[in-house]
Amino acid sequence: MKQDISGDLVNTRCPEIMKILSLGKRTGRLYLTNGADTGNIYFSEGEVIHAQCGSLSGIKAVLEIAVWSSGDYHFFVDEPADMQTIIMGIEEVLAETTNHLRQMDKITSLIPSSSAIYSLEPDIREKDIQLKSIQWRIVTTVDGKKSIADIAQSLNIGVSDVMKVLYTLIRMGLLRDATQQDTHPEHLSVDLPETDFMNSLKQALTQAIGPIAPYVIVETADDLKADLLADSTDQKAFLIETLSSKIPNERMSLKFLDAMTDWLKAEV
Amino acid sequence: MKGSIKDLLQIPGVQGYIIAQGRNMQIKLPAKHKFSGAKDRLMLLYQDLMGDDNRPGNTVEILLEDELLTIFLSGSTMLMVVSNLRANQALLRMTGKLIIANMVKE
Repeated sequence: MKQDISGDLVNTRCPEIMKILSLGKRTGRLYLTNGADTGNIYFSEGEVIHAQCGSLSGIKAVLEIAVWSSGDYHFFVDEPADMQTIIMGIEEVLAETTNHLRQMDKITSLIPSSSAIYSLEPDIREKDIQLKSIQWRIVTTVDGKKSIADIAQSLNIGVSDVMKVLYTLIRMGLLRDATQQDTHPEHLSVDLPETDFMNSLKQALTQAIGPIAPYVIVETADDLKADLLADSTDQKAFLIETLSSKIPNERMSLKFLDAMTDWLKAEV
Repeated sequence: MKGSIKDLLQIPGVQGYIIAQGRNMQIKLPAKHKFSGAKDRLMLLYQDLMGDDNRPGNTVEILLEDELLTIFLSGSTMLMVVSNLRANQALLRMTGKLIIANMVKE
């Protein structure tokens, strides 16, 4: 096994290596690695005649390998392919690869890598959605846990093909970044001090505006620079009054004031 | 709703109140208070406030030298609370809002 060209994909990407090998009319096997993934592209007198990457073969395998931007490559001379899966000329292969890379650049601006994880958007605004079969196959595997690479492996599809479909699904508003879910307000927790006053305040405000009450209390206290543990009646009264002004329904606002006035009267 | 005049008068610093509706006015202030005999002037103030369509809210506060007039308006009803500056103003406003809401409801 004679090896005469090697290097890393950080400095030289696959399309450039293919160009060099085609110009030199080389025959042999170009072996590439990208982490745990490996691929082979076979050349015969400068023409690409076969490629294989995981379960992919032919031009799909070339396109899959072409986007790798890390890993190593080695060219082994005189290792001919035992089959032909690519019948297009090298110019056509390179043109298709360039076109594919351009598409992938656009996709990676939205989907950073194959390790990204997506989940279904719970609040889909579009009511009438039509999906192609490949989109449907992929959307049913998205669960907020599997990465793009995992989905590609489970469906036996190329990673870049999965990324293309996910790009469309994200743009359609059907998916969202699973890691961003934790920052959604409904998952945040607010710890209010466990005092009688605070419990009554929370309870009365929850009756008026619902479960967002603790967040409104914390936000209002921040705005007023009020200490929720302070014993000052003036401060409590000011907090209650400000909170009541944030209740949009006037009847509920008065009910809230009514409930909380008792607290203050007892202290004055 | 529990807001009543009695609750209002129990707030330390509250000296009394004035209620006006149409041509009627009720003044409950200590006899020596400077406003206790100022019905005409208070009526003019009431008419001024009622005539101002561009008023942004329904609570008006007027700071005098040593006391505060907190005025609650709803429809044609006015409740004016006279208090010193040490009264818990937030509690006073809360109670006043409840009272005026009760008065209009009745």
